[in-house]
Amino acid sequence: MLPLLLLLIPIPALAVDQTFGVPPHLLSKYIPSSSANTPTWSCLDGSKQISWSAVNDDYCDCPDGSDEPGTGACPNTQFYCQNKGHIGSLIPSSRVRDGLCEPQCCDGSDELPGVCPNVCEEVGKVYREQQEAQRKLRKTGSKIRSTYIAFAQKEKARIEAEILASTKEIAEREKEVARLRDIVERAESLSAAELEKKKESPLYQSLVEHSFALKSLQREHKKHLEREKALGDILDSLRTGYNPNYQDMAVLEAVRGWEQLAGLPHINDVKKDEEGSSEEDESSDAESEPEEELEPGMWSAGQLDYQLDSLLNTDYESLLLEHEKHIGASTSQSPLFDISAYLPESVLPQYEQFRDSFVSWLETFGIAKGNSPTGGSENSRTKQAYHDAEHSLSLAIQEREKAEQSLSRLFEPTWFGTQGEWKKLEGTCLEKDTGEYTYEVCLFDEARQKPNRGGSTFSLGRFTSWNDAPGVEVGSPEYYSKQYYKRGAKCWNGPERSVVLVLSCGLENAIHTVQELEKCEYQFTGTTPALCLPPDSTDPKRDEL
Amino acid sequence: MRAFSSFILLASIVPTVLSVKTQDFKTCSQAGFCRRGRALATRASESATSWKSPYSIDPNTVFIAPNQASFTASVKSSLYPAISFGLDVRVHDDGVVRVRMDEVNGLGKRYDEAASWALIAEPKISSSIQWKVGKKDVRAIYGKGVEVVIEFEPLKVTLLKNGQEEIVLNGRGLLHMEHFRKKEEPKLAVEAEVPEEGLNADDAQKVVKLENPRAWFEGESEDAYWEESFSSWTDTKPKGPQSLFIDVTFPNHGHVYGIPQHASTLDLRTTTGEDPYYSDPYRLYNADTFEYLADSTMSLYGSIPLMHAHSTDSTVGVFNAIGSETWVDISHPTPKSTETYWISESGILDIFLMPGPTPKDVFAQYSSLTGTQALPADWAIGYHQCRWNYISSEDIRTVQKKFDEADMPVDVFWLDIEYAEDHKYFIWDKKNFPDPVDMINDVQDTSRKMVIIIDPHLKRVSSYPVYQEAVERNVLVKQKDGTSEYEGWCWSGSSAWVDFFNPASWDWWKTLFKTHSLGDGKFSWVESTENVYIWNDMNEPAIFNGPEISMPRDNIHYGGWEHRDVHNINGMLFSNLTSQAVMERSTPYKRPFVLTRSFYAGSQRFGAMWTGDNLGTWEHMAVGIKMVLANSIAGFAFSGSDVGGFFGNPEPEMLVRWYHVGAFSPFFRAHAHIDTKRREPFLLDEPYKSIVKDILRLRYSMLPIWYTAFRESSVTGLPVVRPHYVVFPKDEGGFSIDDQFFVGGSGILVKPVTEKGVTEASVYIPEDEVYYDYFSQHAYRSAAKGKNITVPAALHQLPLLIRGGSILPTRERPRRSSTLMKQDPFTLRVALDKTGFNARGELYLDDGTTYSHQEGQFVWKEFKSEKQSKNVIKISSHDLGSEKPTEAVDGVALTTYDGGNAFAKSISSVRVEKLVVLGVASKPKGVKLGGKELEWEYTPGVGAQESKKEGIASVLVIKDPKVAITTDWEISIQL
Repeated sequence: MLPLLLLLIPIPALAVDQTFGVPPHLLSKYIPSSSANTPTWSCLDGSKQISWSAVNDDYCDCPDGSDEPGTGACPNTQFYCQNKGHIGSLIPSSRVRDGLCEPQCCDGSDELPGVCPNVCEEVGKVYREQQEAQRKLRKTGSKIRSTYIAFAQKEKARIEAEILASTKEIAEREKEVARLRDIVERAESLSAAELEKKKESPLYQSLVEHSFALKSLQREHKKHLEREKALGDILDSLRTGYNPNYQDMAVLEAVRGWEQLAGLPHINDVKKDEEGSSEEDESSDAESEPEEELEPGMWSAGQLDYQLDSLLNTDYESLLLEHEKHIGASTSQSPLFDISAYLPESVLPQYEQFRDSFVSWLETFGIAKGNSPTGGSENSRTKQAYHDAEHSLSLAIQEREKAEQSLSRLFEPTWFGTQGEWKKLEGTCLEKDTGEYTYEVCLFDEARQKPNRGGSTFSLGRFTSWNDAPGVEVGSPEYYSKQYYKRGAKCWNGPERSVVLVLSCGLENAIHTVQELEKCEYQFTGTTPALCLPPDSTDPKRDEL
Repeated sequence: MRAFSSFILLASIVPTVLSVKTQDFKTCSQAGFCRRGRALATRASESATSWKSPYSIDPNTVFIAPNQASFTASVKSSLYPAISFGLDVRVHDDGVVRVRMDEVNGLGKRYDEAASWALIAEPKISSSIQWKVGKKDVRAIYGKGVEVVIEFEPLKVTLLKNGQEEIVLNGRGLLHMEHFRKKEEPKLAVEAEVPEEGLNADDAQKVVKLENPRAWFEGESEDAYWEESFSSWTDTKPKGPQSLFIDVTFPNHGHVYGIPQHASTLDLRTTTGEDPYYSDPYRLYNADTFEYLADSTMSLYGSIPLMHAHSTDSTVGVFNAIGSETWVDISHPTPKSTETYWISESGILDIFLMPGPTPKDVFAQYSSLTGTQALPADWAIGYHQCRWNYISSEDIRTVQKKFDEADMPVDVFWLDIEYAEDHKYFIWDKKNFPDPVDMINDVQDTSRKMVIIIDPHLKRVSSYPVYQEAVERNVLVKQKDGTSEYEGWCWSGSSAWVDFFNPASWDWWKTLFKTHSLGDGKFSWVESTENVYIWNDMNEPAIFNGPEISMPRDNIHYGGWEHRDVHNINGMLFSNLTSQAVMERSTPYKRPFVLTRSFYAGSQRFGAMWTGDNLGTWEHMAVGIKMVLANSIAGFAFSGSDVGGFFGNPEPEMLVRWYHVGAFSPFFRAHAHIDTKRREPFLLDEPYKSIVKDILRLRYSMLPIWYTAFRESSVTGLPVVRPHYVVFPKDEGGFSIDDQFFVGGSGILVKPVTEKGVTEASVYIPEDEVYYDYFSQHAYRSAAKGKNITVPAALHQLPLLIRGGSILPTRERPRRSSTLMKQDPFTLRVALDKTGFNARGELYLDDGTTYSHQEGQFVWKEFKSEKQSKNVIKISSHDLGSEKPTEAVDGVALTTYDGGNAFAKSISSVRVEKLVVLGVASKPKGVKLGGKELEWEYTPGVGAQESKKEGIASVLVIKDPKVAITTDWEISIQL
């Protein structure tokens, strides 16, 4: 027994009881087979038979690591702490006998005896207090949540009423439109032939062509304006967000060029003696540059913005008719009044009677003009009334569609939840000031980054979905724990901005943290009572320790 | 046509997106002195035999010091008879020859302090040298057939071994030390440039030629003597030309290595001569070379002017102690010889010739000059997780939690520049890091550390105490007028730079790192703890609006030296002082950890380096290995490149392979640029995630091997990762190999895969020995002349071999961090050599954090397997500490060693839990420890002694002998 080498002192065995570290459901497998002289044991995967004394002897024998449940000698296995007085837990073998007392093992069984105190009593107490606090929070939160549910119910009634009212309105408006259409069609058929002829006028043709040209110009102009705005946005974001690590003087030049063009102050805090001051001079020059003088009658940019549309909406046909009137070229009366010439004598009395009543009726509605000097364009007004009616109809239809959509989303799990608990928060805007920026998310709508020291606001994306990660069940609490806002403004040299809003139960609707974990990809964390399920409705096993 | 044009478009866009802005950095032709240097060499080669160096020794001035210590003489240049130079040649007691030359009584003073920063101490002069003064030369023979000869006319210094020329200085007559002179009136120049009426340009040139008798050597014109411009910057040169050119020839060495840092091969390529591989010389000028090229002689962040010349018979070295910008041309006139030519902007000639004759000797000789790699704290060789940036204290906590959930080991979490408010280093951005000390303590709770960046640029605002104190102490770098504070642009905007050449900055800098209040109202980093270590970046220095992204050369440092004189040394002083600061903040001192980007000869004494801002490409992954090897042989053993590549988003396959590269680098850190996707290993999908977890655990299991290699490096100067020519200096087949290497003296040979889609790899085995696959135990055979073998290398596999005859100590229990492994038992892998009996290995352990090892607090064991008798293999452990106490620890020659020292006692319960013996010839009859039979298991396979046989080796597993790692023991295997 005694070692021959004097220096050879065997290391004290670190073996422990064979069932040490075995979780309760496996205890029945840790029993020696006593058929042989020395008791043996089979690795759990059945791959090997070892002596019972080799179990928990701090040496890994089994390929599956099952022979060392209590020593950490086998990698990738688990150790069970009983944690009497609290809740038992499993920890990875990598944490057994590593010299650190695991918080999950309040009984200290993960380390050799004497290393870690048993703190299960206190830990258990704190845990139960936390559980209680959590339960209270849920309870209070769920009360608020139930008001959200009630709100959804009211919304349902309101929207249904709205739909009903819209439907009624639509029916009326449809009738109105049909009636006006009838009148306009009749009036138009009366003048159609003459109108066609008049339209051959070179003046009219030219006018129409000008109109098209103007429309095309307007379209191009708008495109350029948008493009310029987009370029401006890009340059603004370059200016405020460019990354000096690129040490790229070309970028710096671009920023400076843009600042000069846009009359912006220099963003860098570097004020190099000559450059800085000369730049300021230049930019103030740019600002004080006098506006270009316009020829009389020319439109200013503001006029172009606001008046061009109404000019382009001119009804040229009506104008043509008015024009005829104005220059007095047309001597013939409207066919309506001339028609008697073509009628046989026998029907004249009935016709005149009809004509009088028809004209007076038209006059009443301001559609046809009587012989009054202020008559104007009957055709135009008829049409206008008709268009207005059509427009009102389509608005009403849209409104009803919107209401119907609202109704369909109200209890849709991918929108406001099966109980409509999220409806109350639609459009609610939550803000978080992080110093440099204020971050805002308007729920179910859009997230934004607003600089606190001036500069442009960036969209961080629009609501696209709840947590649709694979394996997450639609409608589960986990599903409602995340909202995605995507396709925000594109980052310079980066992706489109986006937000993940991570929510948990809380008494307030609020954003608590904002982090840009990767360039232009934000994570907001926040709370909402909408996630506070009543305490008894959740599985207690879900609660974290 | 469309496809073609879009191809053109792509071809023209891609390089500009993903490569360095070469126009930001000079080529040789854009640097006046390099242009002059190369032109001189061209003139010399064109005049061939008629060329003769104008420099010669005046025999009347030869003087041998009374103690024979050194030889001095006056040197004259026939071009300028009025100017004199002083030559000083001395031989150190280890045989290194130091050759110095400076201008004497000139109009100015050349910079002569480079060596004083690089050298660890003033070298001891040999007292056994006998100088022999002849008519034409002075010579001294010493040591084993080493001879140094200084010829008078022309001046030539030759180091010979057994009569064979090893190193020759000025053998090609290119030596030129531009003396200080007064700026001449521009009259002559004007005449030369503007031909008079009636004269054509040729005539004018002829006139000049006649007027300049020195043109054959110096060239026609005064090229960029007094001023030069690059891009928008102008370098005023108030001191005029002061370049130094020297040719160094190795007539009998066909391979040269060293002069890092370049993204290139270990075996240096040609830059001149017939059909050179590169067109520009290797450049040494520390620079922030953004997105550098993966195959180039462009200068990078650090410079070590050390070169090895190697052949099958001999290895020699040259250390050119110069701090200014230096370009090195290399050519091989024949495959067995090498010519080099060193073109420097300023400074004295101060060259150390290392006679070798083996690589091991050259490492010893070089480390006797500049010191060895400092033994790092043990945790520092674990895995480092970095990113620009972990954005908040919560982010750090979350990342730590995710590592633990994934059960992946990691030792250090890093904070890049964004922790600092407005990039005022030391000052926390409290919005995102409201509780820095709590955060640091949370990391410490799992025995992990934090490394936080401190850069050298100080934001110029009076509210920043560090800047304010630097102003008060007047320790900032000055503009060319020598008095006004220099201001440049860096992360912090308008910034100033501490001049660490100024001794007044030293103690002050150290106080900044104290973690307690100084009580005098001065700044100290109270919001940190001794668990915080430091990263020094941007210390080239990088200056965004400066020439070549650095400092104007005419800036003035302490002592009136121009920045050009000290540029390459500048970065080293920063990490030097920071490392002292970190060491001295603890009582007793603790080993510092400081990572530096810029470095110089000697930087290895102060911490670790990495290869800077690499790209996430396969090319950069591959060249990173070569760069680490090049740094390693130049003394900087603690080196690595960013795993994953700093820029870009590596695909999972690339990332996995990069973890293999990192796990076998001395310094192992993953890092990523702020614009990249997060890529912490726990974010990977399967199977990548599990593969990386296994790689991390492999690194941790092998930490004892790495730490043992670091001890050896810290004492002997041998690198931690060793290229073939270092381990097998006589095997010509390995001289150009730089994609596989050995780990310390352990016998581990690794060849990381750096290509996409690979399933097998070819590994070069340099000797007739059995090599075992680390994982499959497959035995491979080679031949005496070396041979390539093919090994499996699918993504989850790594070509990792154990050289037959090695014993590897590992710790196989996965833990969360290295500190948590300290009480874990060891596994010994005994890989028998082709005799079937022999193997050896070492293990060194100490407390890993303090300097108590210098007082003998350590355990240093040797494991041996040998033939006890015909049928008995004896495996034993014995103490090296008591056998070789003088060689145990760097810097201290212990006279005794006590095996029962306090550290040894603290690990007395740590045991060997398992022995795995590879290649045992047959199933043993018994395995005994001190007469007691042990439990064991034998799996038959190829025996080590079966000389031609390949296949899975036999494996004998000896279960838990229960022997302490600190004690001596013997196990016998009865065959």
